[in-house]
Parts: sequence; C-alpha cells; structure tokens
Amino acid sequence: MFAYLARRLALAVLTVLAAVLISFLLVHATPGSPGAIRAGAGGTAAEIARYNSELGWDQPLWRQFLDYLGQLVRLDFGTSLIDSKDIGADLGQRLPVTASIALLATLLSGLVGVLLGVTAAVRGGRFGRFITSSSGVALSLPAFWVGILLVFVLSLQLGWLPATGYTRFTDDPVGWLTSLALPVLTLTVGGAAVIARTAGAGMREALRQEHIRTLRAVGTPEWRIRYLHALRYASVPVVSVLGIQFIALFGGSVIIENLFALPGLGQASQAASSSHDLPALVGVVVIATIVVVVTNLLLELVVAALDPKVRTS
Amino acid sequence: MSVLPLPDMDGAAADEVATEPVPPSRRRGLPQLLRRPGSGLGVAWLVFLVIASFTAPLWRPYEVDEQDLAHRLEGPSGAHWLGTDPNGRDILSRIFTAGAEPLLVSTLTVLVAFGIGIPLALMAAQRGRRTEQVTSRLTEIVMALPSTILLLAVIGVIGIKIYLVMGILGVLISAVVYRIMLGVAQSVRQRLYVDAARVNGLGSLAVNLRHVLPGMATVIAVQAAQLFGIALLIQSGLAFLGFGPAEPQPSWGVMIQTASQHIYDAPWLMVPTGLVLALTVVAVNELADAIAGKVTAERVVPRRRSRVVASSTAAPADPDAVLEVRDLSVAVDGGPQLVTGVSFALRPGRVLGLVGESGCGKTMTARALLGLLPDGVSVSGGSILWQGRELVGLPDSRLNDVRGREIAMISQEPMVALDPMFSVAYQLIQPIRRLRGVGRAEARKIAAELLTSVGIVDAERVLKTYPHQLSGGMAQRVCIALALTGKPKLLIADEPTTALDVTVQAEILSLLRALVRDTGLSVVIVSHDLGVVADICDDVAVMYAGEVVESGSVAAVLDDPAHPYTMALLGANPHVPDGEPVPRRLASIAGTVPPPGSWPTGCRFAARCQFAQEQCTVPFVPFPAHGDGRATGSVRCIRVEELARAHVTWDADDVGAVVLVGADPLEPADETAPTAGVRS
Repeated sequence: MFAYLARRLALAVLTVLAAVLISFLLVHATPGSPGAIRAGAGGTAAEIARYNSELGWDQPLWRQFLDYLGQLVRLDFGTSLIDSKDIGADLGQRLPVTASIALLATLLSGLVGVLLGVTAAVRGGRFGRFITSSSGVALSLPAFWVGILLVFVLSLQLGWLPATGYTRFTDDPVGWLTSLALPVLTLTVGGAAVIARTAGAGMREALRQEHIRTLRAVGTPEWRIRYLHALRYASVPVVSVLGIQFIALFGGSVIIENLFALPGLGQASQAASSSHDLPALVGVVVIATIVVVVTNLLLELVVAALDPKVRTS
Repeated sequence: MSVLPLPDMDGAAADEVATEPVPPSRRRGLPQLLRRPGSGLGVAWLVFLVIASFTAPLWRPYEVDEQDLAHRLEGPSGAHWLGTDPNGRDILSRIFTAGAEPLLVSTLTVLVAFGIGIPLALMAAQRGRRTEQVTSRLTEIVMALPSTILLLAVIGVIGIKIYLVMGILGVLISAVVYRIMLGVAQSVRQRLYVDAARVNGLGSLAVNLRHVLPGMATVIAVQAAQLFGIALLIQSGLAFLGFGPAEPQPSWGVMIQTASQHIYDAPWLMVPTGLVLALTVVAVNELADAIAGKVTAERVVPRRRSRVVASSTAAPADPDAVLEVRDLSVAVDGGPQLVTGVSFALRPGRVLGLVGESGCGKTMTARALLGLLPDGVSVSGGSILWQGRELVGLPDSRLNDVRGREIAMISQEPMVALDPMFSVAYQLIQPIRRLRGVGRAEARKIAAELLTSVGIVDAERVLKTYPHQLSGGMAQRVCIALALTGKPKLLIADEPTTALDVTVQAEILSLLRALVRDTGLSVVIVSHDLGVVADICDDVAVMYAGEVVESGSVAAVLDDPAHPYTMALLGANPHVPDGEPVPRRLASIAGTVPPPGSWPTGCRFAARCQFAQEQCTVPFVPFPAHGDGRATGSVRCIRVEELARAHVTWDADDVGAVVLVGADPLEPADETAPTAGVRS
C-alpha cells in the first residue's frame, strides 16, 4: 500500500514536471518573443531586446527552464507581460472561485446523480428508463447553452438569481452562494447526468451479483441489501467518476466563467490566451495540472478506503 | 457467470421479458441499430446534418454575410425560417454553413486520437509488460494534463489555427483511447483463434490487422462516436470563447455567444443554434449507446415479483415429509416454462439430489424453494409445502422469515457469493445478530464457533479477512457457516463443489455429510455429478428438460435405473474421472437438451432415446415406481414396464456396455474418496 502510494506520488510529481516542460517548450516554440508582446505594437527593437534580456530570454533554454523551475518551487510565477502584475498573486485570488464552482458542482452532481441513478436502478420499469434516457440527453447538452437557458428562466423570467457577477465569500456568504448558484446549476445538469448513469449502471450491476442472492438467502431486509450492500458495491465506480467530473468541471469552468463573468482561473486563461500573455498561460497550466494531480491522488485514497481489494493489496 | 448454461437463464430471462426486440447476437448491422427509435432518429438527424451542412452553399436562401438591417433579431418568418441575427443575417443559412467545420474538425480529432491510440495499444499488447508499463505511465501523465486549459495555452501561442488545435486535442485524447484499447486488445489477443493465427506464422502486423482489430471493432465504434461528441462540444466551446472562425464566417459557438448577449432583447436567438448543436451531440451519443447495446444491458430491472399463484392446500401425501414440492412449475414471465410439474418430498435428516444435464431446470427448481428466482422468472403453478406451510405466493417480507432461519442456501461459486466490500466478520455477525437476537460481542463469538464448526482452524484470522483473500474451498466453508447462522432445518446446495478443486470437493462433501449426521439437517443438493449424488444423497430426482423423469432412493435409482435417461446418464459414464463434470462425457446421448419453449408434447427425451417409439410422442402421466425403496418415487416413461421386462441396457456408443453402480451409496464411508464418481 505504501509502495503503491509512493509510486503514485512520484507519478504525480512527474506529471507536474511534464506540464511545466510542455508549456515551457510551447512558449519557446512561439514565433516572436515575450519582449515583443510586452512592448506592444509600437515597441522598438531596442525596447524588445531590453525586455527579453530582463526576462532572461537570451539565456540558453535549459538555463531558463531550471530558473523557471526554481521560481516555481518558491511559488513565484513571474509577472504578466500585459500589466506587469504578479501572476502568482492574481491566480491565487482566482483559484478559490474556480475551485468552489467545480467543487460545489461536483458535490451537487454527486448528490443528485446518485439519487437519480439509484432510483432508476431500484424502481426500474418505465420510470427508470425515463431517468436513464433523459440523463443520456442531459449529458450531451453543451454547458454554455444550458447556462443561457438557465439565465433566461431563473434569472430573467423568475428573477430568483443574479445572472452574472461574483461576490466574495468573505464579503457576503449568502451573496457568494447566490452568485455561484447559476454556474453551479449549469454544470450540475451534465454532471448529475453522468453520475446518474454511472450510479444506475453500478447499482444494476451490484444487484445482479451473486453475493446479493446470498444476502437474500439469509433473509437480509431489502433496504439493507439495496442501500448498504449494493450501494457500497456501486460506490467505487461512482467515486472514480466523481473525481473525473471534478477535473472536467475544473477545466470546463473556462466557458462557464466567461458566460457568468466570474473572476476565476478560466477567465484568466482565456484573457492570457487572447493577449498572448505567456507566463500567465504557463502559470494557469501549472496550477490546473497541480489541481488535477492532487485530485487524482485524493481519489486513489478514497477508492482505497472504499475497496478492500485495493486497501489490502 | 458460470460455464454451465443453466444460470445463464438470468440473461435469457431478461431478454425474454424485454418488450422491444432484442438483437440475437452482439454483431449487429446498421439496419438493426435503426430499430431502436432513438438511434434511428439520431442517425437520420446526423445524415441530414452532414448533407445539409456540406451542400449549404448550394441551397442556402441567403449568403452568410448578407445583412438585412431592417429585419434584425427577428423570430421565424416566411422569409427567414429560423429568424435573423443582430446584423439581420439569416440564421438558417448560417447554422448549416457553420456545420461543415465542426464536423470536419471533430472527425480530425477522432482520427488523430485513434491513429495514435490504437497502434500504441496494439504495440503495448503485443510487446509485453516492459513496453506496456512505459507507454501506460506516459499516457497516464498525458491524461492528467488539463486538456481545455492546455488547448487555450496552445491557442495563446500559435493563434487560432483550429485544425492544428483540434489535432493537438486528438493527441491529448489518444491517451484515453490507448487506455481503453489496451484492455480490449489484451483480451482479444488471448482468444484462441488469435493464438492459432500466431502459431501458424502470421506476421504480427497481419495478426493485428486481420484478427485483433476486427475483435475491437465494437469498442472502437462506441468510443469514436463518444469522442466525436466531445470534440464537437470542445470545438464549439472554443468558438464560444472567441477562438473560432473569424467573422463573417459563421460558427455555432460564436452564434451561441451572440445569443447570450441578446438574451434580454431576443431570447429566440438561443434556440436554433443551441438546439442544432445539442441535437447533434445527443444523436452521436445515442448512436454510441446503440452500438454498445446499452439498452439491452440495462433492461435487467430488479423489480420484486408480486405475482401470487393459487395453490392446493391438500394434506401432504407423505406425513413425515418436512418439504413437499408438488407440481411445481417455473416460467419466464410471459415466456416459456422452465420447469413443469416437478414433485418430490424430503424427510428430515435426508439428502435429496437433483441431477441432470445442464439446462434441465435443476437450479431453477432449487431457487424456487426459497423464492430466489432471477428477475423476470417466477413460480407459475404448483405448491411448495414447508413444514405444512405454503411458500408459493408468499410475499418477500414473509419469505424473509423463512430464509436463513428455516431454509438456507449455498451457491455454486463461493468466490463470488460473499460481498467483496465487507469483512467475513461483518458478513457473519450481521445475520447472527438478526437471526439469533444476540449482541455484537456474543455474535462475534458465535461467528468464530461457526467457522470452527465448518472446519476452519484459525477462525479468528479468517474473521478479519475479506472474501478476495480466501481460497475457493475456504470461501465455501464461510458460505456454509453463513448459511448456518440462523440454524436452518433445510440447506439448499446448488452445485456446491462444482467450482472447487478435486481435493477440496471431497472436503466440502464430507463437511456436508457431517452436518447432516450431527445436526439432523435436511439437504437438497443440485448436481450434475452422479458421483456426488451416489456419495452423499439418500434420495435422487433425475431431471430432464424441466421435469423429473425418475425419482426414488439413490440405491434403487442408480442401481436399477428404470428411465432410459437415467440409464443413459449412468451408462455413458462408467468412470467419471475426478473433477470432470459428467455432461462433457455424454457424447453417447446424441443431441442436446431441448431449450425451454421447444419441448415436445409427449416424452421430452424421446428425440434422443434409443428406445423411443411412436407411442412416446403422446402425452401421459408419470407412473409410480415399483420395487424396493421406491415408495415415493416415480418414472416418467410410457414404456417403463416393457423396458424393465426386457432388461434393456443403454448402448453407450463410446463405451459399448452399461456398467452398473457398484458401491452402496446409502452408506458411504467417510474414508472413501467422495468424488470417485460412479464406481464400477
């Protein structure tokens, strides 16, 4: 178990290194230079050269890479080419926004999805098929379109929720929650559908298992069979998919943040991409990779806690 | 599932109850795919979309940049079927003109992903562990990269070159494709014909192309469809963020972005484009589901049976019997009968064997006793009297009083009969507390005692283990202990030794024998192994095609079989080798057991019987058996008297002569090898 975790941890570090390397190489494969971007359209050659030298662009590639790694270890992401702001501080403010959207949407998806999926599997019949097929439709809907529909209904027609904008949790917890409600709901439509399918299939498979018959044969009450034994059996795939959902929602939040004007990482990466703010782009990729890697590690731990086969091996 | 056909009734039953036609085989052509209403519509939409998009320049009513400023942001009208955008441009023309690019670009993504993923998977599957581990680790790293954000970074660096960007997405996704395909490729390569091709000297490329790839076709098709949908969503998402084709070139993402800005003054704008994109992705996913045959798999609906069958309340024929089954029929709901007119009786402390080839209804009969039939299968008639109490038609809640407390069951495959998620201790303590009404500490003590009583030496250690840590024999002992938690009077054992090693089989059988001797337990044991029956049973009921063809005491039936089928079973198997299932040796009984639903009206064995005559094809009632030890037995053969007088024997083609059972199975000595089979 410990050897296994150590191996996972090593792989996680490797993944982050790979992300840094890929984005680093990507930046250096760019035609032009960061100096040119910083100098803007009217920059003179001398100005560009001065900026490039300041940024270390004239150093050999390996040297620059090591320097950048050294910076990263000190949590220094450099400064923006556009407004010279500290990238680390900026992304540090944005991370909680994206993380809370992704986390809340994952939790809500898990709750709604498991409820729906288990109901579909246990009730069966026409109702069960309805849940299965409508979640098949829901998971195919483009999130940004769902978002627009929800804004139209919940915010314009009913006036229940603010359409756009973000309130800090520290400023107003209730405002924070309502400002996140629409984006979270939007992501939950697809997320819950995926979980409903996984949970439904998992429950159906669980209830077909031989050990369920063993439990019936000793007169185990039906609720216990369903909600303790079958649900526990189905929990492993559900938790794995929940983890994948969190990662997908974290990435998918780019679009949602754009739609709802939320100051998160997604918005930052969109802006950095449009303005070719290279260090900011690398910073976003590195942070997102770290989030993915940490999520995967946590997931491994949860699965190990749930599944004795993993735990005892 | 086991290798025996009978438990497959689970699947067969589920298929039978399906209201929609279920495709008979896994390989389905397109026409059959279309039979599912959803996928038929989906395919129709996709075909329409592809044609409409690629021919849009030929038929579109307006040019994409043709502005009609007098008619901005209008709803559908005769002039503009889908309305106009903020510049007064025709939405219909723009939607379908915009369709070509996402379709092409998503195809590119899928092609790149598969072009890298599949060869990599085939190579890893072929080269063995070292290569596989390196490629797998590499792909794990790629999979952990945040692809959407990485794509934005790529765009930030190289600009909006959508084909290149989506190609890079294909590279990222290829890791996922590799992961899925590796598993499939490995399992396909293990199939025998692939081995055979390799042995025959086919080159590795040829083996892959001719044998491995076709075996992966279904999975590839499903994955391709799903990835295509994902690529569509990502492409339009990028366009939504402003990383799409430049104006005035239309794109779905940009059009939805525009709609989101006019949600206040022109909500209609969000309908057409969003709907077209959503419909397309829904159609693609529906197609993927149809190819995967998901609906078939999800049709198995665990719905509790509520059908109550009227039954006779006549006094038991055998006053000593603890269990009396009369005229029991089991059928697929709305489908064929699986078991018909089965009757037998069991006295306390006796062991009854249900024996026959696979697919004869033995397991269904045994499961019916506890009301544990698979979903979609139920008792369709007859009666099961347990200590004078009718069990047929009892609701699950009432049956739960009987299950475990009075009748318990152990199953064919001990390795999957225990819940893999819970420790042995939990699985024993929980029913002990419920069935014996004791506290946790007391229950744990009882659990350890039970394990000891089924021959487990280090009970305390076993209690702490999980099922996957147990061997097959150990797991079966735990299952028996579990069955004994409620101190039942009857144990139903469904092929309890089939899945076990020969030596372990012997141990489990002697354990069962000891339990019967020491506790007065009655046992119904299902087996296809005449050796097991001869070894442990007092009475036997031979089943064929859903009915009992001969029953009586083991001594009488096995020593002096009256029914040709019993003769055939015995005759064809003079030496049942250790651990060899009997049916495999039944080559001398020509033909196979007719499947449920295709049984003849007369004798069901007639088609395979050496002694069949014309009279055998008419219906008849079974005869009470004559002779010693057959007071409660019966023989279902119209020629039984005739055959008995003639002293006929079954000519087993492979063997040439009937060899009778020699040893006295009524008094099996413990030291004899219990799996020695029918001894000659």
